[in-house]
Amino acid sequence: MIKIENLSKCYGNQAVLRSVSLELHPGQSVAMIGPNGSGKSTLIKAILGLVLPDSGAITVNGRDTRHGHSYRKDIGYMPQISRFPEHLRVAELFAMMKKLRTDVTEASYDETLYQQFAIEQMRHKPLGSLSGGMRQQVSAALAFLFNPSIIILDEPTAALDPVSNERLKEKVKQSTREGKLVLVTSHILSDLDEIARQVVYLMEGEVKFFEEIDALRAKTSETQLNKIIVRLIHPEYAHAES
Amino acid sequence: MQKVSYYVLSDLIKNRFILGYVLLLGAAGWGIFMIESQPEKALLVLMQITLLALPLITMVFATIYYYNSREFITLLLTQPIARRTVIVSFFVGLSIAFVAGFLVSVGLPLLLFYPTAESGFLILSGVLLTLIFIAIALYLSTQVEDKARGMGVTLLLWAFFAFLYDGLLLFFMYQFGEYPIENGVLALSLLNPIDIARIAIIMKTEASALLGLSGAVFREFFGSSLGVMVSFSMLLLWVLVPYGLAHRRFLRKDL
Repeated sequence: MIKIENLSKCYGNQAVLRSVSLELHPGQSVAMIGPNGSGKSTLIKAILGLVLPDSGAITVNGRDTRHGHSYRKDIGYMPQISRFPEHLRVAELFAMMKKLRTDVTEASYDETLYQQFAIEQMRHKPLGSLSGGMRQQVSAALAFLFNPSIIILDEPTAALDPVSNERLKEKVKQSTREGKLVLVTSHILSDLDEIARQVVYLMEGEVKFFEEIDALRAKTSETQLNKIIVRLIHPEYAHAES
Repeated sequence: MQKVSYYVLSDLIKNRFILGYVLLLGAAGWGIFMIESQPEKALLVLMQITLLALPLITMVFATIYYYNSREFITLLLTQPIARRTVIVSFFVGLSIAFVAGFLVSVGLPLLLFYPTAESGFLILSGVLLTLIFIAIALYLSTQVEDKARGMGVTLLLWAFFAFLYDGLLLFFMYQFGEYPIENGVLALSLLNPIDIARIAIIMKTEASALLGLSGAVFREFFGSSLGVMVSFSMLLLWVLVPYGLAHRRFLRKDL
């Protein structure tokens, strides 16, 4: 469970997040959408502790993110752009991550994506030589590897090939069924359609709405997420979004 | 902590730059004793390399390394690893790599071919200067977000410590040559780590006889055990203060 209370963050004079409050529960599959610069990535980075908020608090499974780092055991994160140490080989990266995560036993590793993306076959390649899509595959496999109860994916599908894309979406759906909390941002709304059941709409650092997709469908009598958004938000913003 | 340091270190060892650094310094360190029959002169050459080339290479490399590792740092920090662990590991990893490189390429030939107090001072100064300039590099690169600007500041700072500061000091000495400024100059030279190391080593060699009147004051100070203690404490302080600032900054910055 992620609980965000009155979170604010400024970069210089620019307010990126203005008093954001959200409560995300296990079993939810939340799509976070909003125009560029609406604060999506900053919010995710704040949850991960990479960005330190000016005010407000975040608790992850009951632990305050400002105190200690053990809460990150519960989070699997796939960044928007994955870059790894160039000299490291794929197998070495996985070995290193496993060694760093002594809190997870070998029996509870989740290697579904590792196998589906055939990462075994690229194990001798240096990470610097991988293509953007392959790096995303490695990154996705890493996010799920330690069987976290919270999964955060930042633009996961942008660089993936269609088959990998489907496999990742399948994995996300399965994780939600297992009662995990999934938070995804993407600009490709048709991808989110299948995997998300809740929508958070961020605009200029504020939460515009946070609702079940089904409820929104009933309200707008549209079925597709991008149509729903167009209906709900002022057309000129909706254009920028879709 | 050890695990992260170990990964930083193994990444550094695989880096060709470090190998190049060892080969370059090694060629000078081992080579100079082969071609120079007077070890005193060889020592002075190695001193110049240690005082000028070593800070430059160490600081430039440490800065580049930090900037190139930013994604790796982010990756580490999304795991249950404390920020403290990451910054300490980077400092420890870089320090071990560069200190080991210096000891193999300059320290070892000095000990083998010219085992004297001067050599000991030179090796100790080289080790401390390595730590100092890694600490300064970490401070600058955690402070300056932009890579190109970070590199610029690094080079400027090296130029400042390596010769601009001495130039200013000389100017000051000429201007106030009429007055008894020896103690002031002494105090001012303690503010530059390269100067501290240089004076501490020269005072141990015969060349110090050529330094004239202010040399006598310097000699009195640096020749005493108190002076040696003060100068090495200052060098130690030069490691701790920049590193402390880098550490503090790293804990509080957005990544």
